[in-house]
Amino acid sequence: MGLFEKPKSIWSILNSRPITFYTSSFPLEKVGSSFFHGERFTSRPLTGEGAMASHTFLSLLLFYFYTFHLVHPIHCSVGSNAFDTTSAPQEEFSEELLLKPLPDYKVLAHFHFTSTSPPSSSNGQHHHLFPKSIAQLVKKYKIRELELSFTQGRWNYDRWGASDPLSTANGKPPGVELWALFDIPTKEEIDATWRNLTHSLSGLFCASINFLESSTSYSAPLWGFLPNNGDLRYGALPREAVCTENITPWLKLLPCRDKAGIASLLDRPSIYRGHYHSQRLKLRSDGLNGIVIEQTLSVVLQPIDRTSWSMHQLFKKSLMGKCALAKSSKVFLEIERSLVSQNENILELVGEADMVTNDQRDHSTIYQYNVERYSEHEALDIRVNWKKLLQVSFLQTPLHASRFLMGSGNERGSIAISLQSARNSTKGLYDNSKNCFTRVVIFQVVPWYVKVYYHTLRIYVDGAIRDAKDVVEKINVTPSEDKVSPGTLEMMLQFPCGMMSAALTLDFDKGFLHIDEYPPDANQGFDIPSALVSFPDFISRRIYPDSISSPLLQSYKGRNIVKSYTEVLLVPLTTPDFSMPYNVITFTCTVLALYFGSMVNVLRRRVSEEERLAKSKDKRKPGLIPLLISKISNKVRGIKEDSANQSQSSQPILGPKVVFKVVLIALIAVLGHYFFNSS
Amino acid sequence: MASDPMGSQLRRILSIFFSLSIILPLSSPSPTMHNNNWAVLVCTSRFWFNYRHMANTLSLYRTVKRLGIPDERIILMLADDMACNARNNYPAQVFNNENHQLNLYGDNVEVDYRGYEVTVENFLRVLTGRHEASVPRSKRLLSDEGSHILLYMTGHGGNEFLKFQDTEELQSHDLADAVKQMKEKNRFKELLIMVDTCQAATLFSQLQSPGVVTIGSSMKGENSYSHHLDPDVGVSVVDRFTFYTLAFFERLDMYSNASLNSLFTSYDPTLLMSTAYYRTDLYERPLNMVPVTNFFGSVMKTIPTDSAYPGFLVAHASEYATISAETETARVVLEDEADHSKTYDQSEKGLQHILDEWLKLLEGKLGVKDPEVLVAYGLGSMVLLLTISTWLSS
Repeated sequence: MGLFEKPKSIWSILNSRPITFYTSSFPLEKVGSSFFHGERFTSRPLTGEGAMASHTFLSLLLFYFYTFHLVHPIHCSVGSNAFDTTSAPQEEFSEELLLKPLPDYKVLAHFHFTSTSPPSSSNGQHHHLFPKSIAQLVKKYKIRELELSFTQGRWNYDRWGASDPLSTANGKPPGVELWALFDIPTKEEIDATWRNLTHSLSGLFCASINFLESSTSYSAPLWGFLPNNGDLRYGALPREAVCTENITPWLKLLPCRDKAGIASLLDRPSIYRGHYHSQRLKLRSDGLNGIVIEQTLSVVLQPIDRTSWSMHQLFKKSLMGKCALAKSSKVFLEIERSLVSQNENILELVGEADMVTNDQRDHSTIYQYNVERYSEHEALDIRVNWKKLLQVSFLQTPLHASRFLMGSGNERGSIAISLQSARNSTKGLYDNSKNCFTRVVIFQVVPWYVKVYYHTLRIYVDGAIRDAKDVVEKINVTPSEDKVSPGTLEMMLQFPCGMMSAALTLDFDKGFLHIDEYPPDANQGFDIPSALVSFPDFISRRIYPDSISSPLLQSYKGRNIVKSYTEVLLVPLTTPDFSMPYNVITFTCTVLALYFGSMVNVLRRRVSEEERLAKSKDKRKPGLIPLLISKISNKVRGIKEDSANQSQSSQPILGPKVVFKVVLIALIAVLGHYFFNSS
Repeated sequence: MASDPMGSQLRRILSIFFSLSIILPLSSPSPTMHNNNWAVLVCTSRFWFNYRHMANTLSLYRTVKRLGIPDERIILMLADDMACNARNNYPAQVFNNENHQLNLYGDNVEVDYRGYEVTVENFLRVLTGRHEASVPRSKRLLSDEGSHILLYMTGHGGNEFLKFQDTEELQSHDLADAVKQMKEKNRFKELLIMVDTCQAATLFSQLQSPGVVTIGSSMKGENSYSHHLDPDVGVSVVDRFTFYTLAFFERLDMYSNASLNSLFTSYDPTLLMSTAYYRTDLYERPLNMVPVTNFFGSVMKTIPTDSAYPGFLVAHASEYATISAETETARVVLEDEADHSKTYDQSEKGLQHILDEWLKLLEGKLGVKDPEVLVAYGLGSMVLLLTISTWLSS
């Protein structure tokens, strides 16, 4: 009854008259079905009124009241003692920030927010920390796993590291990349679900993800991207812009948004000024753990002063305490061993860390700061000073991958993928014995208008061409189909360990698009999304002692395969001069009009008729009623006049002149036809 | 004896026909209250040098948000990404003035259609509500018969067209058809179309739907010019018409009672370098009685009623006109609206009364005469007309 008392008090003020508010005009039914279309979550998921599938007004109304009764006591308890009410698993939220000085004096800031929701049976459809919109998405589309990334710029694998877990997870292709694993049996259903999912996500994240809906833009790799049973869908939009409107809804998924806690550091101009910016949403859902979302944002920033930076300088904001709803709120500073070991004094830290630990293999040192200790009066500000400028490099991938285009002209070309050994920096990983092989998996999706001939695959190892059979261990090709599906290449290659460089080339023809299919800026060229090159023999992991309980460092422990994305390729296609069709249409129409006009004139024109018309035109055309009257009066008395006129001016219809004209025109037409056909 | 039932039947059919023809058109325009506000803001230009068009649109976005329209009732269409454009020296910021006092992009912008999605097709789909089933709610204009909609468009245009993305055109006929369809579907109560483009007035020439008020930045044959260039950004940042519109709105807040008329007459042709043209012949209310917040804001009033159904609302609106509305403006407008509905009510009743009388008379006359005679006369007159017409046309 608690909730029903509130309206009553309002009624009593207004002379106990019932009140109708016209501020929110949606009929109740629309609110109920809102989540089917991925509504932007403007209300926090506390009342749970929207989470049901019934369409009838009555049942909805009943449910509405029912949930109010049900939710109200839970609602009250959330604020005060959320974590000690029951032994059942609770929804949890934790926020972390990892700062890492990079060898080129830039700084990597990695924000990591984790929300978990226990399996839905335990608490129904109500959430108090977990974003309702995501839970609805997972339930509706039966998603097992999903990752959506918005990226601007390219991760610099050479300078910022390539084989540590952070770079393996952070390196994302420019634009939007989306992949999802579904818990749906048939292929057709998965495709339909994918289509709806892209629309929902596009509404949620203010992006044109719905362009991935068309079958020409997504593919279903079997093992090249992630081993699966055909229930994976992958799509990328390399040219999608990433800006404030994408981070706004992303932040709204957090319980404190950007009002408190670590997310309050996200000053938009500062983070978008960075050299690299990747915003991700990764979710996993299963019956055991419920739903887990990881929201990460990685930014590579350039401090104004290369030798010294602090958090406040980087973000232009200070961190004043944690988000009250977060279970844990920590800031880490990770320093690679390679930066410290040579000379202990390269880096100097200002600010006292709560804990300092090294990872198991002694690759890096972690400084931990608990945000709880800080407040408005004492903001957390980590300062790092470089004492000596040194050029050091981080762990590289075993092979440095890059991709480029060859050939010229608008007809054909070829794609080349080059792999350069980075042995210098990763000594000890190789031996030169003959039985040692490095496996490389290449996954590449090419739009249909770039028609790749997969039989032209040539593989060069150390400059010499090699038979594909010797190198290719496994290959899966889905050729593109015009305007239906893109071409997908999944290829597992085996290279000898001692190899210095390898190259692959594939020839392609450039297709033609329909005039409607050209984008407004077609002259800029067309993008081929990044290829993914992964190294299944190399695992990037970093194990920190269990004394640090952190979802971020926990994710470091996973067996992540080392991988890197290549460049996006820009293919110039033949683009028509878009005014040309208009020219052609107007020109042909003129010719046709002239030809047919003169023909019709010659065949049908009657001089007598014309004279009569000219005569009648001389008179001003009267209105309807005067015309009627004049006609009637003409009928009565003027019939003779008219007939006299007619007989006077009547002439033979086919005069010799007319016959001559017709013959002449026909002759010209026949000659012209003959001439054009023969030439 | 057989003629009697036939006659009564005929009488019944005729009376039903007449009563239908009288009642239907009268009952359909039952005046619904203005109860929600929507805004559709469209920037149709791509490419960096059209920065000012995006700044125009975002300025309007900021204004309507400031005056109370929430983000979920604003459909924002931006044809290109200027804020995070590689050429933008101020990432994630868009300015409409060289003093850089105000970042239009802010921290909480929600763009519904962007980039290649801004097409004439999508624009017309938004207006008419004809979407695919999977299109999310945030991309739909979910207005109803009580909605006031602000439609703002800016871009490059010409005589009776507006260019989208430099490839397609929205013609004045397309716009008029869409608006007509919206009216048929009861998607708006009143619609304000504001267009900032060259020869903007020509875009409205085909509009016919009632409840539409339009304003354009320039007349036929006139260009709309940009206001000033920002040397830091490197391009012009705002158009004149929008600049002076914003200058008008900067003085207002949610509770101001400035009228549409004061906005429309505030444009000075010498400052604009074009003539702002507004068309009000389709609009019933006098412009000086319409607060600008009716379109550019979302200022609502609460009206206590005896029942929750809007059908009974009209009769009581005048009765309760003294309830506490937030400001005097609101009250004035409310009373005005109530008066209006009352007079409408009266005139409607009078008309109905006359028609009722006539119907009775007709029925009486028909009852006296023999129906068979009537039919015979009718046929005879038709034959006569037919012969006359054939004689004339031969």
